[in-house]
Amino acid sequence: MTIPDTWEPLTDLDPILTIAQDLFTTMVDGEPGHLYPWMGEEPTLDDARYTWVDVSGPVVTRVMLMAGRETGEHLTRALLAMGEDESVNDADFADAVGELANVVGGNVKSLVTNPGTLTLPVVTHEAPDMAGGTKLIETYFGWKGAPLGVALWALA
Amino acid sequence: MKALVIDDSRVMRKIVGGILVDAGFEVVEAENGQDALDRMAEHDDIGLCCIDWNMPIMTGFEFVVEVRKHAEWRDVTLMMVTTEGEQDQIVRALAAGAHEYVIKPFTPEVILDKLQFLGLVEIEETV
Repeated sequence: MTIPDTWEPLTDLDPILTIAQDLFTTMVDGEPGHLYPWMGEEPTLDDARYTWVDVSGPVVTRVMLMAGRETGEHLTRALLAMGEDESVNDADFADAVGELANVVGGNVKSLVTNPGTLTLPVVTHEAPDMAGGTKLIETYFGWKGAPLGVALWALA
Repeated sequence: MKALVIDDSRVMRKIVGGILVDAGFEVVEAENGQDALDRMAEHDDIGLCCIDWNMPIMTGFEFVVEVRKHAEWRDVTLMMVTTEGEQDQIVRALAAGAHEYVIKPFTPEVILDKLQFLGLVEIEETV
């Protein structure tokens, strides 16, 4: 699959790093320095959850966050100012990680020309079918010692 | 002043609502544009709306257009708070009647600066 020129910015890792770190600095941690590029081998996510939004346009770009359930629960507690001992229900989990995907997706959308519309977030237990798509970027960050993935796909 | 926070995400309603409460607002919440119109009809003293763009049932943009059709709501300040950061989206929202535009992610200071610019809060300067 050939990627249109307008999607070329999405093959550069730096803007994704900036978007993710800005998001965590302002909305999750309240200060910089807690989200950092993951060093070493690609990590394994325990009890993984996949959260994505799609950006329509010449091709559909899928912006997907990947995290273990426990990491997602930590994120949910941080965003909803919950106590560390409070249990996280599925609705709050989906809301919190969905909003993170929404913010990353919206900022990715602003990187391309004539991007179309942004869909509402979807959260699943299994990786979505990307058959026929082209992976533009997949990278991992560390947050509280656990891995968080961000992937961008161009879908046919 | 009473403020209406319109976002389909409870997380975002909590974050934006918290900033507004700290700034002295009484906050009412709505999950989408239609829900927000219902809240506007219930509360005739809402002076500020903070509006997400992408929501189910009725978008924030559609809400702005609808509000501006009502003369009784002409003094309500409308501020978009959204991930939609393209220039043409911002121009569309402002042309439709929004007063200000905040792109997610944001800090509390960004929201407060906009509210100060709009004359809705006073921020004490520290020397």
